[in-house]
Amino acid sequence: MEFLLTAVLLVPIVVTLVLLFFKAEKKLLGVIHVAGSIFFSVLALILVSNVVEGDRYFAFDQLIFIDSLGGVFLTLIAVTGLLINIYAVKYMEWEVEKGELTQKDVKLFFVLSHIFIFTMTLSILANNMAVMWAAIEATTLSSVFMVALKKGKRSTESGWKYIVICSIGLAFALYATILLYGAGFSVIGDGHDAMLWTSLMDNAELIDADALKLIFVFALIGYGTKAGLAPTHTWLPDVHSEGPSPASAMLSAVLLKCAVLAIVRYYGIVGNSMVGFEYVQNLMLIISLITIFIAALFILRQHDVKRMFAYHSVEHIGIIAFGFGIGGPLGIFAALFHTLTHSLTKALAFCVSGNIIKIYGTRDMTKMGGLVKVAPATAVLFGIAICSLAGVPLLAIFASEFMMIEAGLSTGQYVAIALFIIGLAIVFIGIFSHFNDIMFGEPKGEILSGEVELSANLPLIALAGLVIIFGIFSVDSWMTLLSNATKIIVGI
Amino acid sequence: MDLLGILSIGMIGVALAVFGLRNYKLAVSAYVVQALILVCIFLVLASTHEDAGALYSWAFIALITKVIFVPYILFRLLKKIDIKSEDEPITGFFVSPIIALGFSLATAMSLYPIYLKFSLIQEHIPLIAAITVFMLGIFGFILRKSAIKQILAFCTFENGIHLTLALTAYNSPGIVEIGILTDAIFAVIIMSILATRFYKYFGSVDVSKASNLKG
Repeated sequence: MEFLLTAVLLVPIVVTLVLLFFKAEKKLLGVIHVAGSIFFSVLALILVSNVVEGDRYFAFDQLIFIDSLGGVFLTLIAVTGLLINIYAVKYMEWEVEKGELTQKDVKLFFVLSHIFIFTMTLSILANNMAVMWAAIEATTLSSVFMVALKKGKRSTESGWKYIVICSIGLAFALYATILLYGAGFSVIGDGHDAMLWTSLMDNAELIDADALKLIFVFALIGYGTKAGLAPTHTWLPDVHSEGPSPASAMLSAVLLKCAVLAIVRYYGIVGNSMVGFEYVQNLMLIISLITIFIAALFILRQHDVKRMFAYHSVEHIGIIAFGFGIGGPLGIFAALFHTLTHSLTKALAFCVSGNIIKIYGTRDMTKMGGLVKVAPATAVLFGIAICSLAGVPLLAIFASEFMMIEAGLSTGQYVAIALFIIGLAIVFIGIFSHFNDIMFGEPKGEILSGEVELSANLPLIALAGLVIIFGIFSVDSWMTLLSNATKIIVGI
Repeated sequence: MDLLGILSIGMIGVALAVFGLRNYKLAVSAYVVQALILVCIFLVLASTHEDAGALYSWAFIALITKVIFVPYILFRLLKKIDIKSEDEPITGFFVSPIIALGFSLATAMSLYPIYLKFSLIQEHIPLIAAITVFMLGIFGFILRKSAIKQILAFCTFENGIHLTLALTAYNSPGIVEIGILTDAIFAVIIMSILATRFYKYFGSVDVSKASNLKG
């Protein structure tokens, strides 16, 4: 297993080097990019399959490890990440044809994608919490130029905001790391072990409670900024809307969840200490409801399709945090489930928005219309994405949101659930008013092209298929993985 | 007061100068002094604490990265952009550093007892200085709108964290310091590339001039 853990980290680096070695020639780059992504995903999924039953494996003197909790998040990179990477090849071809990007930019994008995947994977597999911090900071650094790929005022502005706000936020997370190390060291007595999640978790009860309270607040500010929790979510709409669609998809569907994992690791340690779960749950509950309401209000007034989806990311990170706020095995299970359902749905949403922007040549929803007639396949995919985002039954997001409401009702948290449902209702109204603008009626602006090629839509069809499968069926191995991951957090 | 105390207070003073100096070249030079003081603190700690020998290598690495490399990047950036000094911030040159210092000291005083409980090196003033410098950096980020000043603010709070790390966790595995420093260096490089682009597109390094993305 040590070999697999190493291989999963090495493959993206090797692919990066291979990509750098070749000249920016069109066909070959795309082939290497996709082949590398497939290879990575296969290895990652084999790794995950080994931890479904709750086992865990270590490598590099325990610096790197995988447990069921890590397995949940690695699945996101392996499945969603792969499909986004495949879509990226076609999308980049369009951008080159339009003259928006050069072949050199495309090469840079592919190279950065694999470095980005490496940093995200490292953040998930790191057992050493400082390595995890460094990896998450490195995700920002590696994705800045994926977002600011086009040169110009807007992309420069979004790139600057991204690196500046995330760096400030993560500085607090680093303080949390140092303080937890100090507090852990005084109990564990070994410099190597005091950095490890696994030994901190084992010794959680002994660690100083006052320090842990402060540590959790710092970690929540820090990683919460990166995850897109209010009030430090302000970078997210700009960055997710300005980057190329596959970059937006990757950021929203996978990256935000890596930061969520970091919060969850702290959540588990503080919850299992003398501080108890009530403290962390209350903090998460307050932050999550604020996040959901802020996002809901901004969704209502968006005209830019990608900004709208970006605020949906904020909303859904709020929903994930809400699950942890509700807490208990059921709430945590639902929150972890929501990471996947949102990841699949949002990847689909951002990639479809890539199609839509190609068709209408604008991101302004008021200038679109009649998508059903213009591009039926894209329209169906867009419909599935929107319906899932809004929480329509039989689609993935409904499944996890419903579970969350059940969890809240079973523990008697009626006020929180009521506020949660109001928030979702506002989003529901907002999203369907925009949905009508795009789907029906006559086109209000120009139409630059008709339906996109089937080859571009294939990864999106796969995503849509998964959204439906997870909405209707209960996938056994996934559920087992989730319940084992939940056990790790609850400390059973 | 001992040498360590004087150096620590010096670090706060210089952080304030990085924050307050209007001329960019002077501000970067002040940052060099700050980094040098950090190196000296590492050396003093290493020589006065028996098992803190690791800090000698920390001092050497900090000398190469923070005293030489980062300022090199920043001076190169200053050469590329044709702006010598910062525009007047809304809160004024004088007022904002004073506000920042007040809040930073207050935060440091309220937090440092928790840090001191677990700190490997039980020194009060350096610990207070570490948190103060960190908070000064954070305020620098928030109160100043110049991209250059924001990069310097980043470097400042990075130094604050570095000092905290040295005081509370010098015995942590080497990979921790390497990871954190590598990120910091790449962050400075990327920020300076973006600042150059910013200047190219907006003709200024005032980030509040960029307001295309709102709502």
